[in-house]
Amino acid sequence: MTEVGLVFFPAFDWAISPDHPERQERLLYTRDQIQEEGLFDHPAIREYRPRLASDEEILRTHVVLPSLETVTESHRIAAGGTIAAADLVLDGLAKRSFALLRPPGHHANRFVHGSRGFCTLNNEAIMVDHLRSRLGPDVKIAIVDTDAHHGDGTQDIFYNDPGVLHISLHQDGRTLYPGTGFITERGGPGAYGQTVNIPLPPGTGDEGMLLAMERVVLPILRDWQPDWIINAAGQDNHFSDPITNMGFSAQGYARLTEMLRPDIVVLEGGYSIESALPYINVGLLLALAGLDYSKVQEPHGRREPQPRAITDQVARICGEVAELWERRSEEDLGKVFGEAEFFERRRQIYYDTDNIYESQQEYIRLCRACPGWRAVYTQSTRVRQVAAAVLLPWKPCPSCRQEAEGQYRQLAAEGRFQQVVWQDPARGRESLKE
Amino acid sequence: MTAFMAGIDVGGTNTDAVLLRGAEVEALVKVPTDPKDLLGSTALALEKVLEHYKEDQPLKLHLSTTLSTNLIVEGRGAPTQVVAVPGPGVNLKSLNFSFPIIELDGYIDHRGREAAPLNLDQVRGLKQVLGGTEGEALAIVGKFSQRNPGHEQRLRDEISQWYNGIITLGHRLSGRANFPRRIVTAYLNSRIARHQLDFLRVWREVQGSAVGEILILKADGGTMTLDACAERPIESILSGPAASIMGVKALTQCTEANYLIVDIGGTTTDLAAVVGGEVLFERDGATISGYRTLVPAILARSFGLGGDSRIRYEKSSGVIIGPERAGTPVCLGGEHLTPTDAAAALGLAQVGSAEAARQGWQAWGESLGIDGDALAKEVFQAFLRQLREAVEAFYAELENMPLYTIREVLDPPDLRPRAVVGLGAPAPVFVPALAESMNLSWEVVPYWAGANAIGAAAARATAGITLQADTQLGKVTVPEMGWRGEIQRPLFFDLGKARELAEEKTREHAGSLGYDASGEVYIVEEESFQMVRGFRTVGQTHLVRTQLRPEVFKVRGEAK
Repeated sequence: MTEVGLVFFPAFDWAISPDHPERQERLLYTRDQIQEEGLFDHPAIREYRPRLASDEEILRTHVVLPSLETVTESHRIAAGGTIAAADLVLDGLAKRSFALLRPPGHHANRFVHGSRGFCTLNNEAIMVDHLRSRLGPDVKIAIVDTDAHHGDGTQDIFYNDPGVLHISLHQDGRTLYPGTGFITERGGPGAYGQTVNIPLPPGTGDEGMLLAMERVVLPILRDWQPDWIINAAGQDNHFSDPITNMGFSAQGYARLTEMLRPDIVVLEGGYSIESALPYINVGLLLALAGLDYSKVQEPHGRREPQPRAITDQVARICGEVAELWERRSEEDLGKVFGEAEFFERRRQIYYDTDNIYESQQEYIRLCRACPGWRAVYTQSTRVRQVAAAVLLPWKPCPSCRQEAEGQYRQLAAEGRFQQVVWQDPARGRESLKE
Repeated sequence: MTAFMAGIDVGGTNTDAVLLRGAEVEALVKVPTDPKDLLGSTALALEKVLEHYKEDQPLKLHLSTTLSTNLIVEGRGAPTQVVAVPGPGVNLKSLNFSFPIIELDGYIDHRGREAAPLNLDQVRGLKQVLGGTEGEALAIVGKFSQRNPGHEQRLRDEISQWYNGIITLGHRLSGRANFPRRIVTAYLNSRIARHQLDFLRVWREVQGSAVGEILILKADGGTMTLDACAERPIESILSGPAASIMGVKALTQCTEANYLIVDIGGTTTDLAAVVGGEVLFERDGATISGYRTLVPAILARSFGLGGDSRIRYEKSSGVIIGPERAGTPVCLGGEHLTPTDAAAALGLAQVGSAEAARQGWQAWGESLGIDGDALAKEVFQAFLRQLREAVEAFYAELENMPLYTIREVLDPPDLRPRAVVGLGAPAPVFVPALAESMNLSWEVVPYWAGANAIGAAAARATAGITLQADTQLGKVTVPEMGWRGEIQRPLFFDLGKARELAEEKTREHAGSLGYDASGEVYIVEEESFQMVRGFRTVGQTHLVRTQLRPEVFKVRGEAK
């Protein structure tokens, strides 16, 4: 068994548009550096091919509107490559794996009207649901998102899912896209407290990131005891990144990887394609394989030491997050979500990449026995006719399943929706016909 | 006038030699190889071939030797030191090289820019730690030196002022990116260079008498001059398998674009794949005796299964063949039963005494409580099964080669063979049955037992380069030639221009090596990217890897 299974897919023939950050060139210099360092060739690292994600694999996690035809092959390969990376570990071919591929996915919500934050399909969410389809719904999976942008898509997908713990460390949403990820966002009624956000002030460097790892992330993981740890490894916290304001270095990323010891790493953003990505990825691969990364360093540019004020600020945020985690089971959910039959949530979602506005209405059945079934109504500037979906959790109680089935049949009979989607991750889309 | 050619392939067991008159085989001889006296064995084979040569004209000779391979496998050669410029990155000490490396300051980045200069005090200090007598050797290797050989060249200029041993520069050996492999390749090249020079000196003396020009066979199936071999002896490793595969290319009638080459020998079987009419090459380079190099080489996989393999019988699993050699087959007077004896006893091949083989199986069968004939059949089937498994594993490995574009993932290259082409003495026995079990057509090439020597004779000079252009920096590099130049009009230097320049440089390179540079230059690999910075295109980067395509020299003969 090799230490690290690497699914490298740079999609050298795909771009959102010719001068978009998400373009052919993005992983070119990373490829050059890994190749020159001899890491494709290292006995501890073995490279594997990606594959296409199937309709079933995508639709277990997403509701794609108006239809799956809007998903390009590049997205299917990125999602399929991430699944392939997970299977390497699951099948015992590698101790850990790294899906070093593009396009990224962590801004893609459960409902997909188009592309937002350069993401269409949520690679790691699809992979997490794939893991559960193979291992059963009781497996506990923690996702630690270290991209500089809040992992809002992944948070959206799992925010009411008790099988998943989602921790996102990111540049404070008041200063960066997508503008969310505050510590008050803590999850839905079925998984309250399992959405953990650690917003970091602009200028946070290695010291702050590693402090947050030590003070909050690792203690929470020790407490929650996941079976799997996934790292959504965005690389745009780097001091040279053109679209963020953080001060992380390649050494910091490698150290973070060593501390976290993730089972599966999935690349997210990171657009300092020459000055950061080649060195971060070499450091990350070495750390993941348990090899010496002490000499990995950016040859150009120097990281500013983190100012003392920022360290204090990070320490204060960490304290608040840790306290919320400690108190999560004492919260009165009735006060947070109300005492009605359903909790209602209305949202406007902007798709910056495709310039689409979506409006969404969601009803979660408040249930004591399970996380509750959900009904969602959505329309957008692209899909103008309202679409409806009835979503089951991985482990619905019998009465929620029955209610959800009734709701689905009723909505389907009304005939006024663009479509009515039935999503049953544990049993599949065909479960209603049984 | 029809040209005569001689080819010699010095193998581990036998040395094969051929005399070609145009496309006709005039003589094919085989002498046993004396591992202690390779030169003697080669001279003997040459002498035997020359007996058939009556012309006045000096004869052109192509030589495939195991000298460099043996030097490496046996750990011999000159005391060799390595001076490296690694810069930041993977810690060289963690890679556990079997030889010490002196690390110097300095760094060239992935674009070929100098990110940190050499430290000249440090360079001068090398005088205290390096030897420098004529018997010693040195390799100078920098990270990304294929993108900018400046540091390596500067170091050579400084060091060679007082160093008298052989010096190899990493960038001259390959344009591929892989710093650890570049270190290993340059180290081995320096280590074996002195011995290779002694060997070449002998051949230079032979040259000019009955023998005219002498060319040495390379691991990529091409030939090189003695001068080129003196500079890059490492390229002559593993020329034996390459000779066999070139023999197949010269002799086969197979018209399929994709076929499998199976070379069954006494001790081992080698597999190689032809895809789209071209033999597949190693992605990075040859691996020899655990050393991963950047030496361009035909991708061949060898495993311990051959006509003389040892046979074991276990109650639980039945017959297991190999991987070690048993020795001479019983039918030829040996002591141990081998797959060759199975073929002889079953009447599948006329080798030595079929009766002796049958008696052998009978005796072994009795001790196991099995009919002797049935045991021989079981051995034959086991051989086929193991061969088939090896073929499957070989193609599985090929099909796991990474794919980096959507186009390739959606339509992966079709590598699967449509035919099996065999050579080696046991090939007529096993290749037809192998092909039939895979539902493929088959061919055993003419002169299947001496096709390697024919391949050596039929091989042609090959030369290739790697051209890397960066229009933002206005630089273009061809490491194999040690050349880095300016792009005159960067805005107009598109991929087409890069191709043109690559072709021109390939011919220049081939010419400087003393080859006929008139053949077709084809593109082995190319890449082209727009470089965008801050939403603005600032330049392009092009990589063009070329190869002078040698015409395939066809040799006539009756296929089986």
